[in-house]
Amino acid sequence: MRLFDDHHLPLYRFAWRLTGSAADAEDIVQECFLALLRPGCGFDPGRTSLRTYLFGAVRNQALNRLRRREEARAIESTDDRTPETEALRDEMAGAVAAAIAELPESQREVLLLAHYEQLSLAEIAEITELEVTAVKSRLQRARATLRETLAAYAPRPERTI
Amino acid sequence: MNDTELDQLLDSWQAPPPPRSLRDRLRARFPRAERRRFTHPLRWVLVAAAASVTLAIGMEKTGASPWDFRVGQAFTGFYDHLVHLVDMHHASYTVGIVRNSQPKVYINGQLAGSLQFKHATRIDVDVPGEGVFSVMLVRGLNGFTEAGTIHGNVIEFQAGSKQVRIECNTQLVHSERPVSVRIRR
Repeated sequence: MRLFDDHHLPLYRFAWRLTGSAADAEDIVQECFLALLRPGCGFDPGRTSLRTYLFGAVRNQALNRLRRREEARAIESTDDRTPETEALRDEMAGAVAAAIAELPESQREVLLLAHYEQLSLAEIAEITELEVTAVKSRLQRARATLRETLAAYAPRPERTI
Repeated sequence: MNDTELDQLLDSWQAPPPPRSLRDRLRARFPRAERRRFTHPLRWVLVAAAASVTLAIGMEKTGASPWDFRVGQAFTGFYDHLVHLVDMHHASYTVGIVRNSQPKVYINGQLAGSLQFKHATRIDVDVPGEGVFSVMLVRGLNGFTEAGTIHGNVIEFQAGSKQVRIECNTQLVHSERPVSVRIRR
């Protein structure tokens, strides 16, 4: 359980932000730790750090769930639960959540790992299986998009007479 | 908007903390430690086996009456049973090693399939397209047929039309032995 205590908080946050659902985030984190104990677990300490491996596992599971959710929504559009609706507790946080949810998937996960979990570009590259330069450019594009989308919420400069 | 302002804005979206129950629920789902079912009975098995062998040799030397013969048969049956128990103990030990040695499953040479360890002396192998096969390292069990071998760090057997190879990172046995399998579904 020490591994769980050391790693579960950032993993949970990442899963929650990716899926927008506390229940999904809990399931994903549980599954990732249980998978570590199963025979045939792909974790190789010689190739990657445990933190990177766990973030990668969370990412894969979250993306699978998001895809399944989108398929279900395409068939029957009765489920109104979205990352935005669950996060809209106050206006600004809701706007940020909505703006991030609007980002393309590949930019969103890079932004979440870089900004919210403070992972290095190299670590993100390993988790997302991209080149570091690709991670960097996706992060820049994501931030540029957010700058435009959230321009209305930018702190206004004080007017001097 | 500069970088700092954007960062401040992004920080307004806070994730909730995970529920405290998450840790307990995860702990509840941890697989239980490998049970050592046969450790204690094994002592009695060895004592009883030694006693029955001594008795059988004694009967052989003194000449047996019909009554003695029936007693001898009972002891022989009991002895077979004890041998079977020892085999089961050894199988349980070997399954424990397989479980803890990061086994990889190859179907027709390709990394595929998965293992389940629901029983102390048995390994269930999911062979895509063929079903789930129970692998037993003990011979002579009802419903199981010999279909492969265990040698070194490898268990190999035929599952329908497919060749299954389980590779472990630890040596499992010192000499080649047969394995029996049964299809479960």
